[in-house]
Amino acid sequence: MKWKLALIAALAVLPLVAAAQPNFAGKTVTVVVGYKPGGGYDATARLLARHLPDHLPGKPTVIVQNMPGGNSIIAANHMYNVAKPDGLTIGTFNRNLPIAQLTRVQGVKYDMTKFAWIGSAANEATILAIRNDLPYKNFDELRRAKEQVVIGSTGPGANTHDFPLLLKDLLGLKLKIVSGYSSSADIMLAIERKEVDGRAGSYTSLKPFIDRKLVRPIVRARSTEAGLEQLPIDESFAPTPRAKAIMALRSAPEVIARPYVLPPGTPADIVKVYRDAFAATIKDPATVADANKAQFDLDYTSGEEAVRILKEVLSQPKDIVDEFSKYIKFGE
Amino acid sequence: MLEALLEGLLLVLQWKPFAFMLAGIGIGFWVGLLPGIGGATTLALMLPFIYNMQPVEAFAFLLGMHSVVATTGDVTSILFGVPGEATTAAIILDGHAMAKKGEAGRALGAALASSLVGALIGAAALALAIPIVRPLVLTFGSPELFMLAIVGLAFIASLSAQGARGMVRGFLAGGLGLFLAMVGQDPQAGIARFTLDTLYLWQGLDLVPVLVGLFAIPEIIDLVVRGTSIAGDAPVGRVSRGALEGVKDVFRHFWLTIRCSLIGTFIGITPGLGGAVAQWMAYGHATQSARTPEERKGFGQGDVRGVIGPGAACNSKEGGALIPTIAFGVPGSTSMAILRGGFFLLGLVPGPDMLTKHLPLTFSLVWTIVLANVITVAACFLLLNRLTALTAVQGHLLVPVILVLVFIGSYTSNSSYADIVVTIVFGAVGYFMVVAGWPRAPLVLGLVLGKIAENYLYISVARYDAGWLTRPVVLVLLAIAVGVILYPAIQAWRARRRHA
Amino acid sequence: MPSRTSLALALAIMAVSGWGVFSALDWPWKAKLFPLVIGIPLFCLAAAEALWAIFSKQDAAAAADFKLSEGLERDVVLRRTALAAGWIIAFFVLIVLVGFPIAVPLLVFVYLKVQGRESWLFSVIFTAVVWALFYGLFDLLLHLHFPDGWLLSWSSGG
Repeated sequence: MKWKLALIAALAVLPLVAAAQPNFAGKTVTVVVGYKPGGGYDATARLLARHLPDHLPGKPTVIVQNMPGGNSIIAANHMYNVAKPDGLTIGTFNRNLPIAQLTRVQGVKYDMTKFAWIGSAANEATILAIRNDLPYKNFDELRRAKEQVVIGSTGPGANTHDFPLLLKDLLGLKLKIVSGYSSSADIMLAIERKEVDGRAGSYTSLKPFIDRKLVRPIVRARSTEAGLEQLPIDESFAPTPRAKAIMALRSAPEVIARPYVLPPGTPADIVKVYRDAFAATIKDPATVADANKAQFDLDYTSGEEAVRILKEVLSQPKDIVDEFSKYIKFGE
Repeated sequence: MLEALLEGLLLVLQWKPFAFMLAGIGIGFWVGLLPGIGGATTLALMLPFIYNMQPVEAFAFLLGMHSVVATTGDVTSILFGVPGEATTAAIILDGHAMAKKGEAGRALGAALASSLVGALIGAAALALAIPIVRPLVLTFGSPELFMLAIVGLAFIASLSAQGARGMVRGFLAGGLGLFLAMVGQDPQAGIARFTLDTLYLWQGLDLVPVLVGLFAIPEIIDLVVRGTSIAGDAPVGRVSRGALEGVKDVFRHFWLTIRCSLIGTFIGITPGLGGAVAQWMAYGHATQSARTPEERKGFGQGDVRGVIGPGAACNSKEGGALIPTIAFGVPGSTSMAILRGGFFLLGLVPGPDMLTKHLPLTFSLVWTIVLANVITVAACFLLLNRLTALTAVQGHLLVPVILVLVFIGSYTSNSSYADIVVTIVFGAVGYFMVVAGWPRAPLVLGLVLGKIAENYLYISVARYDAGWLTRPVVLVLLAIAVGVILYPAIQAWRARRRHA
Repeated sequence: MPSRTSLALALAIMAVSGWGVFSALDWPWKAKLFPLVIGIPLFCLAAAEALWAIFSKQDAAAAADFKLSEGLERDVVLRRTALAAGWIIAFFVLIVLVGFPIAVPLLVFVYLKVQGRESWLFSVIFTAVVWALFYGLFDLLLHLHFPDGWLLSWSSGG
């Protein structure tokens, strides 16, 4: 009769076990995006929203809510202070928000390390690309250039601006940075018009133009993607350890290029479910197919790795942070 | 090229893309009608659905939706005085005034007909421009774009009342708009300007809540004060005859319609100016067609030309805006940016390929715009009686509904209550401006063009030092700007001479 | 009346542009150029209009813009305008307190009943239709998200 007892015991425990496993059946999960519709963060979020339900227990509906404003500080504040830690709200925002926290931007009401991190859905490699018909074919030639090379940018805070700025101020490249373009697409048009000679930016956004042979990549930051491994890295040319630290600080968030978080205090089992779901979704061939169509690369970085990088960023000594703030302002 | 043109047409006429186009039209119809809910937000919402469609089907759907938003947006603007879209605010000035006189049918007829003409011209421009599109767009560099913004600002003179004091008020409104455009983080030094220490203002004032507040709130207040229906005591009249009258008006002022369509197409083609400008420039141009000061005063009271101008420009700019999006991958507006996302989703890269390898697909886009507009206009004409009957409905039934839609429209662009506050604040500003007799149009122009003017000026100076001032296109545009500013004065002078 | 409002607006713009120019003075030149170039003339123009409004007997030609309906006595107009403003602000407060999904039908119903003086039956039916459209369109179809409102958040211990 012992097996009968065992069966009853098992049946008794089963509902408890089932209840312990988070289940989202019949519920709606909201992805809060700190940007307006149409941009990269929004597109990634919508792609994930489409495929995530298949990998979450209970197959909930996943919708996207745009909450732009304050360069996504508003969305981050919302995730930190308002959203409930019940696993029904996840958020994605500007990857440079840790920098905003570090440089004490006014209005920051979050602590990056206290979010329940799901992880990052992509890496981003930042590169500088210049027009193909310029006589500089590689980084060395660019360094030795006698004439100014004009680089277009959108404004401080964007990698279109910050990356070449550090190349110019810390490595001494002869660059002239012209900022104020409304978007990186406008800068590409300006390149075609020969109004500017190049731009910096994410490899993903520059790839169609590199393939079209309009521009060529010259130098990259620390993070890399397929096909860019051979490019020289900006940090390796840094003249002083401090300069190197500043460049490293600028590019640190790039590994967490598409950050996804749950509100602080979310139970560990829910966080685990999401981490597994994200990893599975990103590997899912259906997702990969759609991502390829949209010409972006997804790559899962775990929450633990993200937190580790963040702690490193946020523990930089004050003098480095002060020096950094002289060059880099948090912005779009 | 002719074969590609025909092939494009055949692509759209297959039953699946056609069905999707109708679905898109159905959705776009309501999106345009609802104030504040932008074509852009809905485009973004619809994007996931097109993952599994073929390119022709997907674009028939997206473009079908997008093309009609401007047309039905005009309907809301005319009937209720509430901007259906950010791009259909200008038509309120005369269109709604006509509705209040009981001439809603005529206004709608004129708006629909001019929209159709505008859309056709925009589509034709898109098709014809394909061979010359690249050199055309490449001629317009930052200096030229700066000058274009100045030309746009010059229209403030046309939008103001006559006389020195009228001009002062017009430029006061315009200056205020320019000043408000400075709010936000500046792209040169990264300073947060005029943000009152709030995060919300960091990225500047959003156009939709401001527009909705500026135009809708005074109208709502007026409705409550009057206590009657929109048409008030004026007999709504035989609507269908009115509509026919409106259509005839479009042909009576045919050259104005064509010119405003061209203005719209041109603004659409130049990336970086944004769509909201076209309607105001067209309206300003329409007011210039008044031959006497008395006629000029008629604008804002219900002159049908004030409906035709913006109506045509709004739709023609859509065809124009597709040009830089398709040929260069540079979107001319937010909706175009999302459409461009659609391109990528379908595995297409906007650029020279679209004009060569995928030419039939590009032409199918042109045909979609044409067909979608024809169908929508036809549908609107059929529904005209129902629509105009709304102007006879008691005000107190409409007020809560309009108020709800206005608040929702304002909230949903950024999911922020602050937007509603902005709407209310600008509602107050708009109300006081109307009481004081100040024109609101220049404020909108200033707000829309301010950042563009500043950024392109800095880029021009940084890149070319002073040399940009002597570029040929820049000089031509400068002359046009001066001409536009002086036009009202010249008109007044000539009128006085004639009376002397 | 138009003259006095014009004066008020002009003074307001003088205040805003004055403050703007003053705040801009501390900024680096690239950030302050445009605000100064626009702010200073704006201040002067506003001063001109203010003087005009005070000293001129005749009102300027009204702009090519919407005119508020005439034909009612001033007190009626003022009272009803204040009423309208009150409704608008009340709606906003209501939305913040209880969230869109509740505020919308509540406002529609109360407005119809109180301001419109419609019968109970009509008000209920109209409100139900509006609510159904609101729910169907914004929630079901567009999946737009409306937060709960402060009162509800407090009560659920959020």
